[in-house]
Amino acid sequence: MSRVESRATPPSPEEEPEAAGPEKARTPVATGPAETRTAEAAGSPETRTPEAAGLVAAVAADGTRTPVATAAPPEDRTVPPVTAPGPPTGRKSAARRREALAGLAFVAPMLVLFLVFRIGPTLGAAFLSLTDYRLSGDWAFVGAGNYARLLDDRLFWEALGVTALYTALYVPMTVALALGTAVLLHRTLWLRGFFRGLFFLPYVTSIVLAAVIWKWIYEVEDGLLNTALGGLGLGPVDFLGSESLVLPSIAAASAWKGFGYSMLILLAGLQSVPREVTEAAVIDGANTWQRFRWVTLPLLRPVLFFVLVIEAIGAFQVFDAMYVMTAGGPVRASYSLVYFLYDAGFKFFDFGYACAVGLVLFLVVLVFSLIQRRLVGREVD
Amino acid sequence: MARLRLPVLLALVALVTVTPFAVMVLVAFAPPGGRTLPGALDVTRATWQNFADVLGGADVLRWALNSLVYSLVSVVLILLFASMAGYAFAKKRFPGREVLFWAFLATLMVPFQATLIPYYLLVAELGGVDTYWGLIVPTLANSQAVFLMRQFIVQLPDELFEAARMDGASEWRVYTTVVLPLIRPVLATLGVFVFLWHWNDFLWPLVIGQSEAMRTLTVGLATLEGENVTINQIMAGATITVIPCLLVFGLLQRYLTDSIATSGMKA
Repeated sequence: MSRVESRATPPSPEEEPEAAGPEKARTPVATGPAETRTAEAAGSPETRTPEAAGLVAAVAADGTRTPVATAAPPEDRTVPPVTAPGPPTGRKSAARRREALAGLAFVAPMLVLFLVFRIGPTLGAAFLSLTDYRLSGDWAFVGAGNYARLLDDRLFWEALGVTALYTALYVPMTVALALGTAVLLHRTLWLRGFFRGLFFLPYVTSIVLAAVIWKWIYEVEDGLLNTALGGLGLGPVDFLGSESLVLPSIAAASAWKGFGYSMLILLAGLQSVPREVTEAAVIDGANTWQRFRWVTLPLLRPVLFFVLVIEAIGAFQVFDAMYVMTAGGPVRASYSLVYFLYDAGFKFFDFGYACAVGLVLFLVVLVFSLIQRRLVGREVD
Repeated sequence: MARLRLPVLLALVALVTVTPFAVMVLVAFAPPGGRTLPGALDVTRATWQNFADVLGGADVLRWALNSLVYSLVSVVLILLFASMAGYAFAKKRFPGREVLFWAFLATLMVPFQATLIPYYLLVAELGGVDTYWGLIVPTLANSQAVFLMRQFIVQLPDELFEAARMDGASEWRVYTTVVLPLIRPVLATLGVFVFLWHWNDFLWPLVIGQSEAMRTLTVGLATLEGENVTINQIMAGATITVIPCLLVFGLLQRYLTDSIATSGMKA
């Protein structure tokens, strides 16, 4: 799992489901959270992560809006700039200057790191994608040349297709598993903490570890699965060697590793569904399934969207599992977009080309985030 | 029947969750060559041989040291720099504060892999390939950590800091004696995350640590396969790799799970 994952922030489970719920469900709880929300909007909006996440998307997606215009919390706009002219007393402006200096000093170490190792490489990637830059250090400006090459590169389209298919397999598997276990845990009173910890365990390990173990589980000769299948009299299945089975197999291994995160988010969402709502449904004679389908699930929708998008963003950046389990094979059947980028950069040292692939990856991630923002944003409105 | 369904389902999920770990440990302790399940299941023949072999064969101890340095130094420095920056963003007025903060946040939208090449070229240009600083320093620029810190500190009442300042404490003293003790829970949470991010990190250590001696444990585990080692030794290596994660998880589970549920942090 990459350390710096592009991500949005989840809708706060205590509030969003209520806002998105059906009319009937909204009434019993409307006053409480609504008041809180107004208070927060007036007071300290920065304590609420959802706004922040939405604004990040706005900044990244819509360059025409200046960050300050959309982003500045109301309280900040009333604060005069440090250099504001006017008649403040000498002591007051000296205090302001000292505060500004202290602020800058505290930010300085992170700011330097950030400018050098975040902003720099980000701008660098955009620029390099317009050049032909090789290991020798020679480079030439080629404009959109790399992107034109990408359009004609069959390998690139294959990698994009593999990644899309992998995402389409991994996301439903993971979210279904996460939702199922979250519902189970929500219903469990006995040893809930224990089971929650147990189910979460794979998540704290690395993808590499999961890949190493599952590679052996999938092995044809004496892997766990084929030993079990053999016991049932079923022939050995070459899970990782078959072009049609390799992606589902990798996705299943990754789902085992990854579902714990979404499980926790969904569990928090479930626990925030007001008890009055489900109790009202019981009085109306709804059975367990009906309650889940028509009451809980609609209330859970924003959280579910969040989880789907986060998992999709993660899935699109898949690399580690394939590097370890199949090296992209068989015949590139598990050769992902990031694998393509990695090879372009560190096998062929075609740095400009690799950066162009990176930009495609960025755009896909951005689209996922925007979709989430649209859907969740509309429901909240 | 209906009352039995829940425990049965729980047990089933637990089985699926635990089985891969169980086979890892069983194969790791099985006598060399006892890779098939019946052989691995024979606990009476359990042996440390595979651990001895993998530690003797590959540079596993060196990789473990690299992983520890990478993870622990990053935890300390990120906690320090991010809490300082978070404090300034939350409680200090200085020119450009909003623009800078949103610039920090905007970079969260850019996947790490998309900037991998310039990232690598920059560090290579500075002479950081195959060095500890080349491995560690670039990863310290962690916007998510700054964001988390700022969100936490902004909720603390200003009076707490003002009182100390009235008493004539210097800015640095306010930070060390007032801010740091107040943010202990978020330091613990972020510490767990940063440790796991770095311990489990793969792509960056893979490209920046090019000699065998500079591999981390995670990268080393992935490369063990190509070398002449048995599956028993690989599983022994995997078992060694997972121990620190389990320790950290066991000790600090509460911080980890609570913060995911409330803030959506992703390890």
